Amino acid sequence: MNESASAVKYKIKEPMGLSPRITWLRDYYFEGVNRKWNNEYTVWTTGTPWDICYEEISYYIVPETYTFLQTFRSSMHQIAQPVKLHDDFWKWSLPERRAWFIREVMVNYVPQEILPGDLIAGARFNLQASRCWTKKEAKARDRLIYGKKGARAKMKCFHDHGYGNAGATSGHLIPDYKKVLDIGWKGIYEDLEKKYNSMSNREQKSGKGAQLRAMMTAAAMPRDLAAKYAALCRRLAQRELVPSRKEELQQMADNLGRVPWEPAETFHEAVQSLWLTHMLVMSDENYPGPGVSFGRLDQYLLPFWEHSISNGMDRELGKEILKCFWIHANTAYDAMIRVGGNQGITAGFGQLFNLSGMGPDGTDMTNDLTYALLEVIDEMTPILEPKPNVRLHRNSPDELLDKIIDMISSSQGAPFLLNFDERSMAGMLREAKMAGIQHLINENNVHDYASVGCLENTMAGNDRSGTVDINLNLLKAVELALTGGKDLLPFTDMMTGKPEKIYRDGANTGDAASFAAWEDFWKAYVTQTKLIIKKSAELYEASEKVRAAFSPTPYLSCLVKGCAEKGRDVTQDGPEIRFVTVEGVTFATAVDSLLAVKYLVFDKKECTMAELIQALRDNWAGHEVLQAKAKNRAPKYGRDDNYADEMARTVMDLWTDETWKYTTKSTNRRFRPGMLSWNYWVGDGYIMAASPDGRPKGQFLSNAICPSNGADINGPTANANSAGKALGGKAADGKGDWNEYFSNLPNGASHTITFNPSLLRDQEHRKKFKAFLKGYIENGGSALQINMIDADMLREAQKHPQNYRHLLVRVTGYNAYFTSIGRELQDEIIARESHNQY
Amino acid sequence: MDTKEENLKATILNIQRMSTEDGPGIRTTVFFKGCGLRCSWCHNPESISPKPQIQWIENKCIGCGTCIKTCPENALSSTPEGIIINREICTGCGICTEECPTTAMELLGKFWELNELVEEVVKDYAYFSNSEGGITASGGDPVLQAHFVQAFLKKCKERDIHTALDTCGFCSTEALDLLLPYTDLLLYDIKQLNPELHEKYTGHSSQKIFKNILYIRDYILHKDRQLNLWIRTPLIPDATASAENIKAIGNFIASELGDVVNRWELCSFNNLCRDKYRRLGIDWPFNDTQLLSREFLENITAIAKETDVNPDIVYWTGATRVEDSEDETITQNKNPVQAI
Repeated sequence: MNESASAVKYKIKEPMGLSPRITWLRDYYFEGVNRKWNNEYTVWTTGTPWDICYEEISYYIVPETYTFLQTFRSSMHQIAQPVKLHDDFWKWSLPERRAWFIREVMVNYVPQEILPGDLIAGARFNLQASRCWTKKEAKARDRLIYGKKGARAKMKCFHDHGYGNAGATSGHLIPDYKKVLDIGWKGIYEDLEKKYNSMSNREQKSGKGAQLRAMMTAAAMPRDLAAKYAALCRRLAQRELVPSRKEELQQMADNLGRVPWEPAETFHEAVQSLWLTHMLVMSDENYPGPGVSFGRLDQYLLPFWEHSISNGMDRELGKEILKCFWIHANTAYDAMIRVGGNQGITAGFGQLFNLSGMGPDGTDMTNDLTYALLEVIDEMTPILEPKPNVRLHRNSPDELLDKIIDMISSSQGAPFLLNFDERSMAGMLREAKMAGIQHLINENNVHDYASVGCLENTMAGNDRSGTVDINLNLLKAVELALTGGKDLLPFTDMMTGKPEKIYRDGANTGDAASFAAWEDFWKAYVTQTKLIIKKSAELYEASEKVRAAFSPTPYLSCLVKGCAEKGRDVTQDGPEIRFVTVEGVTFATAVDSLLAVKYLVFDKKECTMAELIQALRDNWAGHEVLQAKAKNRAPKYGRDDNYADEMARTVMDLWTDETWKYTTKSTNRRFRPGMLSWNYWVGDGYIMAASPDGRPKGQFLSNAICPSNGADINGPTANANSAGKALGGKAADGKGDWNEYFSNLPNGASHTITFNPSLLRDQEHRKKFKAFLKGYIENGGSALQINMIDADMLREAQKHPQNYRHLLVRVTGYNAYFTSIGRELQDEIIARESHNQY
Repeated sequence: MDTKEENLKATILNIQRMSTEDGPGIRTTVFFKGCGLRCSWCHNPESISPKPQIQWIENKCIGCGTCIKTCPENALSSTPEGIIINREICTGCGICTEECPTTAMELLGKFWELNELVEEVVKDYAYFSNSEGGITASGGDPVLQAHFVQAFLKKCKERDIHTALDTCGFCSTEALDLLLPYTDLLLYDIKQLNPELHEKYTGHSSQKIFKNILYIRDYILHKDRQLNLWIRTPLIPDATASAENIKAIGNFIASELGDVVNRWELCSFNNLCRDKYRRLGIDWPFNDTQLLSREFLENITAIAKETDVNPDIVYWTGATRVEDSEDETITQNKNPVQAI
């Protein structure tokens, strides 16, 4: 069969109703490497021989980059362009140097450009900039990074041995954008100035004073950059021959003359102010779009929307402005455009925003802008950024539900994530209780929570909760319990091919083969779980203290409440609310493995513990019957089987209770639990030994709160019920953390369910799907991603990738083009598609 | 027979949650084992016998031989074609299915206690209550286990769960008397109006079925409680899917049942059960029959709508043939979750 004949077999979502302007911008964007213009990193140096222009700590949670850390460090330095420094540069404190350097680069070095037809200014922002260290600082910092006991070696060891990964990474918070719209950067600047001037002389000379001076320098950056863009728009307007475009450019120049320095008044100004402010966060952090999220966009932009609509703005023009904003958000992916045209799977960019959701007293906050934004998503999809997350709750209106179901039915997966308010708010209130911060999060404001990255719930504008900073394989504790604290298999260095000698890295919980009862094994598991959490805390500290001392982000600090008040950076203990989230990975694999140990060794006596351990060492080879029993006969989480789900709940209580006990020493951030597995459940499946649930080494682990692949044989409602129970379920007496709801995970938990598109084939079935969502609100977890894909279609796409380039699928909270991802993951998604087969 | 509620047991083939094709809303469908009719096209051959049966699922088997070793009757043997079940000897005890490491040996029909079943279906209450959904007692034909089903429906009603009963009506009026008071929706099969053809294809006379539907009509007309009635007609090539039969059924519904019918569903022929017949060792006369084309379904639906029946209540459901492809695949209209 030739390609064109197969092309029409399945209908793939296409963008629709786009103006020639947006069509051009969107098509241009998708030209990728062939574009003349792009937003590739530019690299800038102070010119010193010891300069470093790459902060590797940000990438400690991206195992794919480990091999390249040294290469990036040296190559970035090699291609860096020098910046002429201020005469006093080296006399300043580090945050002041860094604030000045970023501002200098963004305002005076990086070119300003406007793409044809664009209504929003602010094009290039991807930077790798000098860390601005003195020789002494660079040396001191390197001492903490390099060497056997350095942060890098520790991080690598943790990952190589299957524990997971951890590192103080960028973004993953919601800056106080609302404040910029309301009082402008001018207001922020004046506030900093006032605080600084009210300081004593001694305080001004302290680190606190230096931090505020740095933040003032940073706060002037958006003003100076806007002035440059305003001048550019004016020049372009003068040259422009088409009157309508001339007018637009003039309007843009006028906007930039006011915002983001002044408060925004019109919708166009608000979006312009938001974009410029937002893109500079990414410049400041030297990281493209790492979960730097917008929060409740349809709430804080609403006054501007209503103002402009009532002053005669055409609704379509408002949407057109938003669509330009959409294109800009996607240019984050240009950072390393020449390395991979493959957008998606390795790109953890989640510039997320929330729509709808609860207001005070359970009211619903859906408004006209909510619908306008949904229309923009619908018309632009498929596209990757920004990522929408629609908040649902018991009082969500039918009109909203019908709209989102329509959108799901016309896409290959929902073009948004869904967040569930009741369960999410229960988690946030639990966080407040556990950390004693009820004055910051309580029943009066918890409805204003929002999500970052994919689904990680935080408060907005005053909260950094490090939502992907620690990714811990819960399964590792099962392995350590089986071996009394050692790896099951020796680690082999990929470069040398030499196996390491196995040593005791965990707790000595004794010889599992001598355990007489299940309780003995459980006790060992508890000990090992406590140990792996402790280890992850120690590892995290290694990078957290380096970042806190050496990598300030004074611009971002202006946008996080608490930093100015304390004179402390956002990378330190500045933010009012500050947590480090431990994302529990491999939850279901761990639960199923415990269930399998109990079933096989103790309950049914299908084998001895020694035989099971040998089978795992042999990766089940020669033990196929035992493996089959582990896979098919042992109970599994995810089937709404109360026995198995009780184990899930016990495991959840154990690791979350333990997590709350830790606080970073250098920055006083408390640990909190969550479940987002990004793509670690894929990669770490090749690192972790075979597990008692029947999984061989090399097969994927379970994803976030999802059941193990294929285990959810009782369908979506059973799957959802299990997830809800694992999170804590509901209180029988109605007294949960929020009303009757409990949630052990304030961060929330990623849950993906795949449905067959025929479920949405007509109005009658769409109503059924709506009922599913309403049932999920009652019984399910905190967040849901819906894939709506037919396995046949995916197989077809594997065969003819060129015809399915736009087939967008969702995996763990981020989008990927199906044809651009690896074969193994493609197969995994196909396997996952069928609920009823194991 | 022990009729004390807590001791009631039923033979159940399968419990399917989030079922979207057996009545309104999201439903949990309970497939009761055993059926009075012997329809030659039956899509669920494993549901016909009231007794538990064993089947071997080839692609799950790893050839370990555990089943052969554990069978107390020596009813299993290994051949180059796989495991052969000697159904003359097999008692359906299910020991092999409990021992099989991979679940390749499967027991069709398990005993469920009443309370256990109620607890199982109530798990999806949150989904039912938001969709006018509930439970559907299907099969086989649940009327064969009427005492249990009555108690089950009654318990569901006590828990505020909508109940549907899916039957072919081949039963006594006493069985109906037990079940109708606890049924909110009746899914009733009318397959073939011609008595000779009915007997030819279903193995039984249609007399009782037509008598019962009139009995149900009168029940609905004379009771003040709400009981909805959906008539379902399987569209089987050469057996029921003729214009003549559809016209006759339509006119029967219009003249005899009138307004008591809320919906008439034409259910297209399904051949996904080929494997089931093979596993049960039964030759299926429809083995090579293709799915109906979309055009055929649309035509026959049009014919149904041209009868005296209110056209707004006529629907078609199920799978159709993919026209422009060599291999037969399922179109958009298939059941999202494959029913047994």
